[in-house]
Amino acid sequence: MKPGALPIIALLALLALLPACQTPQVQRAPEISADLVAEGRKLIAAAPAKDKNLWAYQVALLAMKQGRYAEAQELFGKHLPPAGALLRGGASGQQSRSLFQPEGVKVFYGEPHERTMAWLYRGVLHWMDGEADNARACFRTAQLFDLSEDSAHQSDWILLGYLDGLITSKLGGDGADALKRARAHAGSRALPEYDRAANVMVVLQYGFGPVKKSGGNHGERLAWAGGHSTVQAAVVRNGTKAVRAPVLDDVSFQASTRGLRRMDTVLAQKAGVKKVADVVGDVGVVPGLILSQPAGTRDAGLVLLGAGLTGKAVGGSVEPRADTRTWNNLPQHLAFAALRLPAGRQRLTVDFYDADGQLLSDLSRTLELDVKPQGDTVVFVADK
Amino acid sequence: MKHCLPVTAAFALLVWLGCQSINDPTDGVRVTQMRPDERGFVAGLGIESQDLVVVAEKMARGVLGVEHIANAKGKPNIVLVPVINKTRFNIDKDIFLTRIRVALNANARGRVNFLARNRIDALEQERNLKLGGQVTGGEKVQANEFKGADYILTGTLESISSRGKTGASDYILYTFQLLDPRTSDIIWEGFHEIKKQGKDDVTYQ
Repeated sequence: MKPGALPIIALLALLALLPACQTPQVQRAPEISADLVAEGRKLIAAAPAKDKNLWAYQVALLAMKQGRYAEAQELFGKHLPPAGALLRGGASGQQSRSLFQPEGVKVFYGEPHERTMAWLYRGVLHWMDGEADNARACFRTAQLFDLSEDSAHQSDWILLGYLDGLITSKLGGDGADALKRARAHAGSRALPEYDRAANVMVVLQYGFGPVKKSGGNHGERLAWAGGHSTVQAAVVRNGTKAVRAPVLDDVSFQASTRGLRRMDTVLAQKAGVKKVADVVGDVGVVPGLILSQPAGTRDAGLVLLGAGLTGKAVGGSVEPRADTRTWNNLPQHLAFAALRLPAGRQRLTVDFYDADGQLLSDLSRTLELDVKPQGDTVVFVADK
Repeated sequence: MKHCLPVTAAFALLVWLGCQSINDPTDGVRVTQMRPDERGFVAGLGIESQDLVVVAEKMARGVLGVEHIANAKGKPNIVLVPVINKTRFNIDKDIFLTRIRVALNANARGRVNFLARNRIDALEQERNLKLGGQVTGGEKVQANEFKGADYILTGTLESISSRGKTGASDYILYTFQLLDPRTSDIIWEGFHEIKKQGKDDVTYQ
């Protein structure tokens, strides 16, 4: 060892020890309360403007599941565009159509089945508040939002049509047409006649709803991963009275029958540009590099290389991806039951059954409710 | 090397396009104060303030022109009953009648009297407190001084709505009636109709 080496090694060793002795910077985990709705509100506040509606819908449904209906109504009221609103794309809409931005930069209002579900929930909340006609208005708007290329699948939600007619009937009108339409959509599923004297309305939902995913070579197509529900029916009981609530609507089916969107054409065009640019890039870069070496072909090679690199850059920058943001706590199935109960404190038992008719006992629950002396008492039940 | 400049320019252009801000989907927050009877730039297909103002003023003029009101001896007592909403628009139903009442009060110059039947619970509670001696003024209260209605003013909102690839359209029919509760006669009926149509942005179609 050279005479001057020892101090240098010692110095290096010290330098190595110094970082090891530094107090590690501890980052505190964010404090999360058990109040999921409050936490959800924080997420809404922190979300970018384009995603706030999505978070609000999810938190509103969570609030409904927890029986915090006023909060759910407030969130839907604030974030769901009015029934008569025309959805304006604005700057983000323009960006979502541009070559270099994905569709997901636009403000989230959801696909038709998501808008329909939001209006269904608003209707249920109005009904709970004793505003049956406003509830019916929401159900009608919800049905109208169910767009499809195939007219057979347009406005074909069974529960919405059934409830429209039921409320019309209870308000003294003629709900027969609505019931007839609902039955036509229901097919083999039997829909009971309206009981105008029924005063307890139980709206049920089962399972997990569909999730959006991207398809196509460049993610330009909107596809669906179907939802799932083990529960296929429920029985609502009060003493000796029991009403069966079979599945009426399949949310995955409604999502998948939407058909081609106008935006799908835009995304297909973007994917086409990306494909061409990628091909130009593939064809131009390597031959361009080769040709740019000899002096005689250098100019042509550089042009080819430039075109190839530009093609690669354009191909890499084009964003044809479809918007896959999903309202992720929607159910797979909707169901309904109506009962006649005396006013005052009442107990309801809800039992859930699978496709084989087996009781799913871990999901059973008992609800205490105050049945109103006048008007309808509306109950919302989710199996999850 | 003469091609370096265009290639560099092309790259710079792409980088600039890629760096465009996408975080603010709004055009900024700007507030424009408008008259309530003006059609705003965010107008939609639903029931809006300009419709409310037009309908309320028209109905108020109609009610005041009714012979039973115009030539009534004394002030007729009118009770407002919430409108029935048969449209697809969830609305605050009281606001129509409130606006009509305000218009009637402004134009009737004391020719009609409105009864606060929608506040009957609070009124009964106050009367009972007085009668029970829990608050002062009980000595002035007779057995029942709440007035009965000479007429009932109410209305119905109905609509025909459609939505498809080419856009959406809503026709709304507002009808209001003045009823005689003694005979169930319809003393007066007025209506207003509005049709609106429009399209969502292509991004949401």
